[in-house]
Amino acid sequence: MYGGGNTFEGIKTDSLAQEDPQKLAEFEARIARGEKIEPTDWMPELYRKQLVRMIEQHAHSEIIGALPEGTWITRAPGFKRKLSLMAKVQDEVGHAQLLYSAAETLGKSREQMIDDLITGKSKYSNIFNYPAFTWADSCFISWLVDAGAIVNQLANAKGSYGPYCRALDRICAEESFHLKYGHHCVIYLASGTEKQRQMFQEALNRWWPPMMHFFGPSDKISAHTEVLMRWKVKMSTNDDQRNQFLDMYVPKIWELGFTIPDPNLKKNPETGRWDYTEPDWEEFKRVINGDGPCNKERLEVRRVAEERGQWVREALKSPSLRYVTPLA
Amino acid sequence: MLLNRSIAFMMKPIDPRVNRLPGFGQGSIQPKAPLDQLGTYEVFVQAKEGKPFQHEGIVHASDIELAYILAKETFTRRFTCVSLYVTETRDVYVSPLTDGQTSSYELLPPATAGNGPTEAYEVYHLVKRGKQHVHVGEVMASSPQEAMHSAKEKFGAGKVVYNVWVIRKSNIRYTNEADKDLWLTLPEKKYRDAADYKAGDKLTAFLERVKHSV
Amino acid sequence: MNELALKELLYKIADDQLILGHRNSEWTGFGPLLEEDIAFSSMAQDKVGQSYAIYQMLNQLGEQEPDTVAFMRNANQFHNCQLVELPNGEYDFSLIRHFLYDTAEITRFDFLANSSYEPLAQLARKIKGELKYHTLHANTWIKKLGNATEESIGRLQGSLNKALPYALGIFEPSPLEQEIIASGFFAGEEVLKKQWMEKVELLLSQTQLNLPDWKTIQPVLGGRVGQHTEHLQPLLDEMSEVFRIDPSAEW
Repeated sequence: MYGGGNTFEGIKTDSLAQEDPQKLAEFEARIARGEKIEPTDWMPELYRKQLVRMIEQHAHSEIIGALPEGTWITRAPGFKRKLSLMAKVQDEVGHAQLLYSAAETLGKSREQMIDDLITGKSKYSNIFNYPAFTWADSCFISWLVDAGAIVNQLANAKGSYGPYCRALDRICAEESFHLKYGHHCVIYLASGTEKQRQMFQEALNRWWPPMMHFFGPSDKISAHTEVLMRWKVKMSTNDDQRNQFLDMYVPKIWELGFTIPDPNLKKNPETGRWDYTEPDWEEFKRVINGDGPCNKERLEVRRVAEERGQWVREALKSPSLRYVTPLA
Repeated sequence: MLLNRSIAFMMKPIDPRVNRLPGFGQGSIQPKAPLDQLGTYEVFVQAKEGKPFQHEGIVHASDIELAYILAKETFTRRFTCVSLYVTETRDVYVSPLTDGQTSSYELLPPATAGNGPTEAYEVYHLVKRGKQHVHVGEVMASSPQEAMHSAKEKFGAGKVVYNVWVIRKSNIRYTNEADKDLWLTLPEKKYRDAADYKAGDKLTAFLERVKHSV
Repeated sequence: MNELALKELLYKIADDQLILGHRNSEWTGFGPLLEEDIAFSSMAQDKVGQSYAIYQMLNQLGEQEPDTVAFMRNANQFHNCQLVELPNGEYDFSLIRHFLYDTAEITRFDFLANSSYEPLAQLARKIKGELKYHTLHANTWIKKLGNATEESIGRLQGSLNKALPYALGIFEPSPLEQEIIASGFFAGEEVLKKQWMEKVELLLSQTQLNLPDWKTIQPVLGGRVGQHTEHLQPLLDEMSEVFRIDPSAEW
């Protein structure tokens, strides 16, 4: 699970002037032809840096994303839900594994990335800084947060970096299970008892604002990303992704008779796009910079997990071990 | 540097598992040791009998046996699988990566005749950039360089291959024939597949009910 | 067919698998290595899935629905051995328990493949590969960590000493043990224990861990007749928290 456009930070393109113009032209031509870049191909430093940052953030989002739903792993109601949720959260860990591997091909080791996560140096998707209060929250995440992630990931899977695209192909195939499972759960809540319906309505009320934040700041205020679009690092704008998500899922939520907590939400017949109350970007900024309800808890869980696992990894090390960058 | 801190959480964690974590909320952030990093192993999977093995990705592990164990659930917990093998990343010999109409085989450095005994190598091709490396067969050679040249003769004629991998068979942890039952129940783990979550009938019934109650 | 004896056998196996699968699933997202996190979760799923299959068999024999049986009983109605209900502790304890329990489990199902109760025999034959993976996983880790650093050996040894009395509790005879054996449902706990001990001895002899003299280990019994540690009821309360909001609802 992942939301794009996490930050407001712009990128500095100064370093491009130092690149070999001929190589840069060949590199850009390759991308324009729709070919993938592979780890041993020449690439500008800026491309490498941006990709590492993006794939690493994506990986962190998966491993942290396992936590809000993990909240319900020991409490899933009934055998079927129990098995499904175990497999679903396991997939999130698996996605982190795949994505860290993809980032590793660019030369940053997994342990370094995990270190940067724990020390707060690198970010993850903001939505996971919110708590999953009830079972219905976990259903919201499985269905709609994963739906948002699929919008983002399907776009990125058409990007230019081979190992990232291959990881995403695999991840998207698994996400389709998450999405179907999540929708299945919500249909059961919707068609169930009053209490069940109420549980989901309350979850929807809680999660709608972070869901609107999920795709990142509005295009009007987010950093200029033209070079990243040209290099197929970023594949569509934050607002386009948000709009695509609303197009696909608002009707499905309404169909189930739930109320989305935004009185201004409607499709504009003239523009063909969705109108909505502008999300509170100040809150987004505040939360992403550490001041959300669960930021500290999420990082502390990762820290404790790393610390408790340290003796295991220590025991596995041997003098003959040598880390080399993985191949593809 | 040690950053000691007592953590003030915004709210008490609501995950019972988190509340049970020993040491939760009392620790300090310690950067990991710089070399707290295991080796990587490349994973190759055969989805069905008769289909070629394909490169799927890597796992981190301390040795090839553990890599094998960990690769199984990392890469083959869905659909079908009949066989899997792993090898250490540094035991994969890699040819130059090419594009367009240039075959990687054309760029091989001249073969240096190995003086060791002849050994078997697995050969992998990348024939479409962006896709996975796929198994094409095996060759006998006395060095990896020679194996590349043997692969060129045996598998390289008349096609553009963008990248070639050769791996000494003796460096691979294979699946034994007797262990192919490891994946026997895999097709039955339907709860991992989207197709197992059909709620159309439930939804239709619900919508009908709503229509009539209005 | 002695249905009472059969049900007793099925319940204790299913309860073991469910409770240990549940415990092991607590590690998901908290494991020591990403790949191991994934592997351990799969094995937890396998166990829960196996328990589900056996509760379905019980349902065929007239017992209540699997969800009702699993989510609505109290601790004193569970017949799992106490080993599986103990908290996870650190990874060394979880691994040692996984090794001790799964060695017994694969041996048990080897016998069950010849059970006179055909559905059980079929299940045992079907999951052979799953169980093989579990023991391959357990043996590899125990050999690895049992021969590595002073800390890893010390941790495993401590956990082994702690777990062994409970592990012997796996083989507590059922109240209807003789009927179970006489009906050909299962070869019996005593035979199972003997084979298990040999396997445990063989594996541990390849490590730097010490196995105490079996005679000095006092088995912790009671689980098979519904006597449990203080850990089981809270586990069940947690497991059924959502289910019990409305047991008649579909979730």
